[in-house]
Amino acid sequence: MFLAFEEIKKEKKRYGLIVLMIFLVSYLIFLLSSLAIGLQNENTQAIDSWGIQRVVLNKNANISMPQSILTNKDTTDTKIGKKESVIGQLPVVVKAAGRSSLTAQFLGIKKGQFIYQDQQLVAGRRAQKNDEVTVDETFKTVNHYRLGDQLELNISGQKYKIVGFVNGAKINMLPIIYGDLSVWQTARQTVPNVAFSGIVSKDRHYTYNHLDAKTYSVKTFVNKLTGYAIQKTTFTLMIAFLFLISMVIIAVFLYILTLQKLHNFAVMRAQGISTRTLVNAVISQSLLLTVTGVVLALLCMWLTVAILPAAVPMNFAPTIIISGSLGMLITGIIGGLIPVRSIIKIDPAQAI
Amino acid sequence: MAVIEIKDVKKTYGHGSAQVEALKKINFEANRSEVVLIMGPSGSGKSTFLTIAGSLQKPTAGQVFVNGEDITHFSAQQSSSLRLNKIGFVLQAYNLVPFLTVRKQFVLVDKVKKNNNLSQAKLNQLFNELGITKLIDKYPQELSGGQQQRVAIARALYANPEILLADEPTASLDTSNVEEVGKLFKRLAKEHNKAIMLVTHDPRLEKYADHIYDMMDGKLVKQK
Ligand SMILES: Nc1ncnc2c1ncn2[C@@H]1O[C@H](COP(=O)(O)OP(=O)(O)OP(=O)(O)O)[C@@H](O)[C@H]1O
Ligand SMILES: [Mg+2]
Repeated sequence: MFLAFEEIKKEKKRYGLIVLMIFLVSYLIFLLSSLAIGLQNENTQAIDSWGIQRVVLNKNANISMPQSILTNKDTTDTKIGKKESVIGQLPVVVKAAGRSSLTAQFLGIKKGQFIYQDQQLVAGRRAQKNDEVTVDETFKTVNHYRLGDQLELNISGQKYKIVGFVNGAKINMLPIIYGDLSVWQTARQTVPNVAFSGIVSKDRHYTYNHLDAKTYSVKTFVNKLTGYAIQKTTFTLMIAFLFLISMVIIAVFLYILTLQKLHNFAVMRAQGISTRTLVNAVISQSLLLTVTGVVLALLCMWLTVAILPAAVPMNFAPTIIISGSLGMLITGIIGGLIPVRSIIKIDPAQAI
Repeated sequence: MAVIEIKDVKKTYGHGSAQVEALKKINFEANRSEVVLIMGPSGSGKSTFLTIAGSLQKPTAGQVFVNGEDITHFSAQQSSSLRLNKIGFVLQAYNLVPFLTVRKQFVLVDKVKKNNNLSQAKLNQLFNELGITKLIDKYPQELSGGQQQRVAIARALYANPEILLADEPTASLDTSNVEEVGKLFKRLAKEHNKAIMLVTHDPRLEKYADHIYDMMDGKLVKQK
């Protein structure tokens, strides 16, 4: 540590630049992964918040809830307990006086069932009447709606009053409007005897297969969300390559750094300083530089999260923090370890 | 018993047409309490000889003994530990660590060798004798050649080695400094019982030597 530290002290500019590079690369990794995960979470935010395991849909709906309609006949035998909720889902266009239209997902739900009960309200209350709705928080943070605002939905001629804002209510990238199931039923009345789109259950063993109704695991359901699977592959590859290439770049930099110092090492070897001391110095120096860079990047990320507008989906998740930091530290160690062979092979006579 | 004994040592560099016979069958002994001077023209093999004696490199043939122990086939680790504990080197290109201040050069020795280094008082005295007390917070690159040379001498002596090997230790020094360094070497040999081998062109050091050898074309000839 002594050698590592003293050298950094002497060559402040050089090591400053290395730290800057490590900082920038880590920041890039943190930022892009957070954005990717944030964006991807918007697909499943609501589904995750419900904590469901099984989904029952019309078997001809291609596992898509907005496409699914179950009739009273299909659903005669359903057992709806504490762990189940029924949903009627429809994409809608929202209009309000003096505002531009926006697309959302209408989810008709029933009072008393868990989705209704478990709504995480950041403001207001749950809907009581059929013309009241609760909406995703972004209605407020991004589109500046307020409690009491009236919405016009293109699925009916009626107006609906916002009575609450719900945290994390997004599905398939769109904000959710939670309203009463009867609104959905009215909108779907072209089909006789409509009941709802589907049933979601928190019970891992919940199964209901009857006539057109079929049960799917939540995993199957999520993977069938429009664009979800391909997005996931794209993001995973993107982040993986980002990680890999950054790691190689940093490792190579640390390697070059060490190679440049071989003469100094020869001098110390001539003085009788052991190879182990030198190897320790190199590795602890790599770690010192990497830790400094990563800590700076983390601080910068928290700042970024704080000042970024709410409209930008960003999820600086603990998994990113942990895997990103660990990845960088391992890179640091590897970058320090690659030149060890050169250090061991140093001929102290080179110092002559 | 001789502290350093060199038997039939040869050293060849390179291969084929580029081959250089730097040392041709050398025999030599250095004893405690003696200052030995090795003189000779450039390229005659003086540095090669000194580094083999100090186990910085290995001879192509022959044997090297330190305190009667054959070190010819020491492992890199054994050689390293021998240099750390028994041998002080002042190399021709000096051998200061460029990113450490003068003071820290000595801290480094403390870090890697815990025992038997000079006391702070003795080190201060050494600094005074060598005239480098004011330089302790400077980096090597901020020192003149002669100052670096004197710091390198102090560093080599700080670990309190039995053997001091120095390659052109006075090359950049003016006469008064040469006198100081010469006296210091002589005193170390006589009072502290050390074996001192100096490679030099410098006739100003001759009066401090017990023995003088001439290196000519890889062969060693005793003068005194
Ligand atoms: N690493 C090496 N590889 C090849 N040849 C070398 C090497 N080191 C020294 N030599 C050759 O060996 C011979 C002796 O070199 P050495 O450095 O021992 O001379 P020297 O007496 O110390 O000279 P100087 O007074 O200039 O320092 C020279 O011909 C030199 O070119
Ligand atoms: Mg030489």
